[in-house]
Amino acid sequence: MILLDRVTKNYNRRGTALKSVSLHVEPKEFVIIVGPSGAGKSTLLKLLTREEKPTSGKIIVGGIDYETLKDKNIPLLRRKIGVVFQDFKLLPNKTVFENVSFALEVVGMGNKEIRHTVPRVLEIVGLTGKEDNYPSELSGGERQRVAIARAIARQPKILIADEPTGNLDPKHAWDVIRVLEKINKYGTTVLLTTHNMEIVNKLKRRVVTIKDGQVASDRAGGTYRSDV
Amino acid sequence: MRRKLITLRRIAIAGVKNFFRNSWLTVAATAVMVVALTIILMAVVLNVTARNAIGEMSKNLKVSIYIKDDAKTEVVAQLKRELTTNPYVAEVDYISKEQAQQQFSDSFQNDQKLLEGLALIGGNTLPASFEVSVSNLSKINEVGEIPKQEVFKDVVDDVTIGKTDVRKTIDRAAAAQRFITTASVIAAAIFAVVSMLIIFNTIRMAIFTRSEEIRIMKLIGATPGYIRGPFLVESSMYGVIAGVIATSVVLVAIFSLGSKVSTQAEFAATYTFFSDPKIIAAMYVGAILLGILVGVISSMFAMEKHLKLKYW
Repeated sequence: MILLDRVTKNYNRRGTALKSVSLHVEPKEFVIIVGPSGAGKSTLLKLLTREEKPTSGKIIVGGIDYETLKDKNIPLLRRKIGVVFQDFKLLPNKTVFENVSFALEVVGMGNKEIRHTVPRVLEIVGLTGKEDNYPSELSGGERQRVAIARAIARQPKILIADEPTGNLDPKHAWDVIRVLEKINKYGTTVLLTTHNMEIVNKLKRRVVTIKDGQVASDRAGGTYRSDV
Repeated sequence: MRRKLITLRRIAIAGVKNFFRNSWLTVAATAVMVVALTIILMAVVLNVTARNAIGEMSKNLKVSIYIKDDAKTEVVAQLKRELTTNPYVAEVDYISKEQAQQQFSDSFQNDQKLLEGLALIGGNTLPASFEVSVSNLSKINEVGEIPKQEVFKDVVDDVTIGKTDVRKTIDRAAAAQRFITTASVIAAAIFAVVSMLIIFNTIRMAIFTRSEEIRIMKLIGATPGYIRGPFLVESSMYGVIAGVIATSVVLVAIFSLGSKVSTQAEFAATYTFFSDPKIIAAMYVGAILLGILVGVISSMFAMEKHLKLKYW
């Protein structure tokens, strides 16, 4: 599903963010990416969403080779990848329903289909009944679940969650992680970055550690090890 | 196809919503564009008015060729031929002695004493004449030279060109027309640039304040058109609203001022011209299209930097 082959990213001023990173993620896999701040995790995710281009190396996601991907097809690529951020990035002047339907409007889905889809997606993330609330009326955990609902509404093949629990207390963090596990169970490949050691240890999933722009370790059912 | 229609509708709705979102900038941008369009429309109207007035006054500007009473008819006919074949001559009217007498007594019918005095002298002392109107005013002197040729010496009594006061008025009107054109082109250009700058900034600020929203849209797979569309709709609306206001202002001016002078020959044609529903519609359409063009161009510049596919 995701293939990175010796990917290097140099920033002109800030130096090298990634050094020859190779990574292979199978379909329906749940991968946790850990590493200290500035290790290159965010760069890695930006390369996957094609917000950045690699300096060298090959990236293939869902059969699309980024090297030959034309600019005008970037929107089509993005529709296959759902993204969730640490700071939610919800639109404050739109209700929960509108925030989710927004993602479907963008891809040209009809109003009838949207009215049918949004409640089902909100049910998956456990927010039934909150349709008409504004983000400011929700807790952090609920907001993040709205963001997840928005990301998965188009049924992407891959869900990238960039420290989704970073701003949440443990209880709400677990709500969010449970939702991610559920989505993964339905067949979506999930890429999760986190600093939370407890989450990593309890999930017992494949853990990829990135340090100084390189893959320091990659083990299944792994735990967070700060020594590598 | 259906998806495209749905998307187009959503773009239009988003654009209209955004238009009303930052109301003060909207008012400023629209107001300046109203000024620019009003100046342009006024310039057009004044030009048409001046042209019509000059045309109307020129009708009174004729070459009068007075024929001697004992002129040979063949030579007179030759003169007429030569006049009618001249490219600058619009019309040649022959006024016989009898017609001249009639015209004269018509214009002095309130002055019985003068007419009685003339009757005392007896006979018709007025000469026959050709009244020649020209198609091009600047050539009127050349036309005036025709009857002064040697061949016509025996038939032509006198040649007069126009009335000098009419010529002066026409020259003044023409000078005013040139001034109006130049001044309005300059003023319209200045205001057009100002309104472009304001719209440019309005759109750029809108892009800036909505940058987060735009980034989300990009990440959830919006196409460039879907993000740019609402901004284009928004800036077109400045043009539509400004066009409607400007045209209405100008039309109100035409009808409130015009109704006072519409009976004067110089302005009658202009007034009827601008009363034509087709012309009114054309003015609205023209002003709106011009406004949309200005709005779209300036927002294109504003979007150039941030909403290009390169930076997707």
